[in-house]
Amino acid sequence: MKKNRSQARDIMLSVISILLLVAVWFLVSGSRPDFFPTPMATVERFIRLIEKPIMGVSVFGHVLASLRRVMLALIASIILGIGIGLVMGWNKKVRAAINPILMALRPIPPIAWIPLIILMFGVDEFPKVLLVFIGSFFPIVMNTMSGVALVDDMYLKVGKIYKAKTWQMLRHVVFPAAMPTILAGIKIAISSGWMVVVAAEMLSSRSGLGFLINRGRDSYDVALIMVAMILIGVVGALLSAVFTLIERKMCGWMSKE
Amino acid sequence: MENQEIKVQVNHLTKRFGDLLVLDDVSFNIKKGEFVCIVGPTGCGKTTFLNLLTRLIEPTEGEILIDGEPADPKKHSISFVFQEPSAFPWLTAQQNIEYGLKIKKRPAEEIAAQTEKIISLLGLEKYRHAYPHEMSVSMEQRVVIGRAFALNPDLLLMDEPYGQMDIKMRYYLEDEVVRLWKATGSTVLFITHNLEEATYLAERVLVLTNKPAKIKANIEVDLPRPRKVSDPEFIRIRKEITEMIKWW
Repeated sequence: MKKNRSQARDIMLSVISILLLVAVWFLVSGSRPDFFPTPMATVERFIRLIEKPIMGVSVFGHVLASLRRVMLALIASIILGIGIGLVMGWNKKVRAAINPILMALRPIPPIAWIPLIILMFGVDEFPKVLLVFIGSFFPIVMNTMSGVALVDDMYLKVGKIYKAKTWQMLRHVVFPAAMPTILAGIKIAISSGWMVVVAAEMLSSRSGLGFLINRGRDSYDVALIMVAMILIGVVGALLSAVFTLIERKMCGWMSKE
Repeated sequence: MENQEIKVQVNHLTKRFGDLLVLDDVSFNIKKGEFVCIVGPTGCGKTTFLNLLTRLIEPTEGEILIDGEPADPKKHSISFVFQEPSAFPWLTAQQNIEYGLKIKKRPAEEIAAQTEKIISLLGLEKYRHAYPHEMSVSMEQRVVIGRAFALNPDLLLMDEPYGQMDIKMRYYLEDEVVRLWKATGSTVLFITHNLEEATYLAERVLVLTNKPAKIKANIEVDLPRPRKVSDPEFIRIRKEITEMIKWW
């Protein structure tokens, strides 16, 4: 009963704050609607976008195009990031060998890679996915590495006492123990990947939300820019919410502290 | 007791860390299915002694034989219960108990049967799907003890498993460990600081000296079970051990 009530209160507070934001938007956009479209104009533009595709792709097609790039890159960074992170966390020598390279590469923002990648791979699909990969790989590999390196010694001892072989140790002790840290890394990777994909699409693309923003700029269609930006925000939030559900499902054993 | 076969033979076990002699020529036997308690002053090299038995570290001299053969992690199973509860937080009570059996790749029927047996001995039927964070410290420790017994180890080492429990819980858990020991026929080496606990549990108590640790005495506790702490004979044995251990 009490829980339900506090839940209802939280939902109400969220609705109120969103309504307030829209109200502010109304006030601000009222003076120069050509410069800064009103919420109504933006909604109208969204409906028009659904009815009239851009570049032969519907608005949902553009969302899916961006999502597809992020997913491909994420799959690659999850596989490589967890694999390399696991070995680095487990083996001190490998860590000593690879860590300096990662430390040097990690601070380079994905956007700084753009010229190099365009020169090397052109402006096809692959370079965009590669950029997203660069944005999502580091959080996963770093979190996996530290999660594995910091597994409680007690659990390792228990594994040793039961004579777990190395792969059993990794599979049944190290991996589950590091899972919460790894999932936290993937969560960061998703939001970082979603940011990078828009940047990559703004360079040169015929589909995707980043492309819609560019199209809006080129044709002075500010409402289209707003629509694309809002979609980026909404889809990004949904991605994060879906992943939180997955996280809870996979790590239900964690105490809710 | 005399006609029981010898399960574990510890011969002239010695451990030096550089110049520091920690364990000095310790020899004793444990019979199959016996419950032996080791008591000794704090810092007497108890941890080193346990690490030697689990083969986490190698002895400087001496040997440990199980069933007459040198203790070999690949051949023999040695289980261990740490002082702090060490249940895996990502596994339920039941999965924790199954853990060792699964690592050893025992057949599925055996895993199921053995797990059920332990769960019912512990009376954990209702909590089999609970995760450690949903349990009290004592319940978590019971699951860990169940995990260790489930494997029917050649030797089960327990390192002050009840050190953190309050007195009431200890009595309850001590009865429980006796029940598990009897039901599984395991060979148990139980380390404790609590002399009453040793007298209550053990068939035999080994008293260690201060560092470097040697065996000072070997006391048989031939009392019927369940034992009563108020029994004059119980008190006499407890006092006898206390006299031996007066290292202060």
